[in-house]
Amino acid sequence: MNVSKKIVLLGHFGVGKSSLLRRFVENTFSENYTVTIGVHIMKKEVAFDNGRISLIIWDVEGTDDFTKYRSSYFIGSECFVYIFDATRAITFSDLKYNLSHLNERFPNTPVHVVGNKVDLVDEKELLKNLEAQEIKHNYLSSAKTGKNVELLFQDIAAQLLANEQ
Amino acid sequence: MSNKDVRKQFLDNRFQLITVSKVLKVLESDNVIFHLNEGSDITEFHPFFFTLASLFDSHEASQHFFCVQIEILGKNRFVDIRTKKNNDRDKLYVFIEDMTEHYSNVHQIKQVRNESIIQFNVVQELNNQLEVQRGFKNKFLANVNHEIRTPLNSIKGFLDVLKMGEVSKEQLDIINIVKDSSDTLVTILDDLLDISKIEAGRLEIKNRRFNFRSLINVLNKTYALRVEEKRLEFKCEIGENIPTFLVGDRLRINQVLINLLENALRYTHQGSIKLIITTGSRNLRRIPITFEVLDTGIGIAPENMDRIFESFTQLEKRGLFGGAGLGLSIVKQLTTLMESDLEVKSNEGEGSSFKLAIILGVSHDQRSNIVEEFEPLVALPEGKVKGKKKRILYGEDIEVNQLLMTKLMAEHGEYSLDIAKNGEWVIEYLDRYPYDLVLLDLTMPVMDGFDAATIIRSHANNKIKKTPIIALTARTTEEEKELAKEVGINAYLTKPLDNKLLFETIDKLLKKSKKGNG
Repeated sequence: MNVSKKIVLLGHFGVGKSSLLRRFVENTFSENYTVTIGVHIMKKEVAFDNGRISLIIWDVEGTDDFTKYRSSYFIGSECFVYIFDATRAITFSDLKYNLSHLNERFPNTPVHVVGNKVDLVDEKELLKNLEAQEIKHNYLSSAKTGKNVELLFQDIAAQLLANEQ
Repeated sequence: MSNKDVRKQFLDNRFQLITVSKVLKVLESDNVIFHLNEGSDITEFHPFFFTLASLFDSHEASQHFFCVQIEILGKNRFVDIRTKKNNDRDKLYVFIEDMTEHYSNVHQIKQVRNESIIQFNVVQELNNQLEVQRGFKNKFLANVNHEIRTPLNSIKGFLDVLKMGEVSKEQLDIINIVKDSSDTLVTILDDLLDISKIEAGRLEIKNRRFNFRSLINVLNKTYALRVEEKRLEFKCEIGENIPTFLVGDRLRINQVLINLLENALRYTHQGSIKLIITTGSRNLRRIPITFEVLDTGIGIAPENMDRIFESFTQLEKRGLFGGAGLGLSIVKQLTTLMESDLEVKSNEGEGSSFKLAIILGVSHDQRSNIVEEFEPLVALPEGKVKGKKKRILYGEDIEVNQLLMTKLMAEHGEYSLDIAKNGEWVIEYLDRYPYDLVLLDLTMPVMDGFDAATIIRSHANNKIKKTPIIALTARTTEEEKELAKEVGINAYLTKPLDNKLLFETIDKLLKKSKKGNG
């Protein structure tokens, strides 16, 4: 079986969406921040014993105003990955609001929440902070070190493949 | 060139039209921007085109995808893509417009904007972290301060009670030593709080008219005695051209000079200490006053010069000279707050000189009959409060403090004292019996002093409502003092209590209350 599935990466600007994507697809990382405008799309095939899946990953321009996302970017998305920057509280302070907004519009599409740049913070402090704000996350990652990047996309791919079967 | 030709040259080369089948095969393409073979799978060209499959299932007839990044022949291009289904819904027309020039400009603007916002966020995060750390430190200091002041209050208070009784000369000497040690502890606590206030930016310089010469006279008298005890010489010189009444922060100038003199006294074992005050200005409004403290003490090695103003720094590590190492740090921070430069010169083994110039206002009125705001409360002569005993209610939960107050009041026959163990009982007592004044601890269980004062000030009974209230507390922050003022507390005395000041304040408020009622 070989299927293609669309994933959309969301979140504030500068949280590392493009870096996570490049780490996953090309296994590269740059310290330089380059703004993504509009949408940049990459594809990567993930193979499992029971089949292969092509992840078509839409790296959408980050925004601090979630309502400004262009709806056409979301068409046909089978999964959302909401990324925040662990070093900047402002990128997760509105997370709950944004997730409920997303859930209202796409109630059947799963969302994975990822705290990126954890190589720059004390993870214990971060977890305490997230818990205090009742923020639930699925992964804590670092595009720089590669921590949990492969795992994140592998898990998503496995889940999407399982849904297909 | 015809309009059609112009249009072709300037516009048409920016647009490409592709027709795609339901299985995403290219049916037709004019190949203006990039080349596609008819019959090829369009998703092979770029992963964006996978999304076209969803559009066939969508209710919408057309869609618009702005700013899609597509790599064409190794070059990154920005395109807008519009799609439209045919009537039979088995074909999709895909219009691609090359917007690279426009979006490249947008990209540059957004790059600068986002970078500056992220930078701002990072600075904000750092500030927040610092605030949290500072807040924790200040809270810790305030708590420690409160916890130490409470037992110190008992120690100092009972020492006074002991002194009033029959004690031998030897016992009196011991009492005085313990009292001096308690006073030193209070000074260290005050210094710690001042440092934390300065660091938190909460210490304000309050410029008011004050008698400068009187301030220097008091210092002269105090240090002449203290220096003599160490068998040193003391000289205090004040320039004749310095006016008597100046405008500045008397409290902080006094604090700076005391710390400098204490420092000189601590590190000088022979020779002399001098305080020289001069001004070279004849300006009638603002003059720079130069203060110089010179000593013939142990001096400072050049390599240690930079460290002497750090908190908790003492160059003599064996602790031979006492002190907490806060004095010079306070001096440095206060002089900075007063916009003054502090200059230090020293020769190791010969002595040091600390010199600072503070610009102070010259009061337009040099007469001494104006009552100064900071003037200490003047004690009324004994027996001034005549007539029947004044009833005082004391709200205090700690037994040792209750006992201390009972002893102190017993020495002053003109008062009778009742004690309530918390704020609720204070209100209960006030409802049952008439009182002339309330002494209130601010930290009590069940109901604290702030709440009790609020209830008293809003009491239906006008007499109770107007009862003078004195806070007796180990809480010393400006916020707490402000809050006390807000809830209607008339005077705020901090523990350990200065017994003389306590009775002066009681007398003053009773006198004022009597006047108000009369």
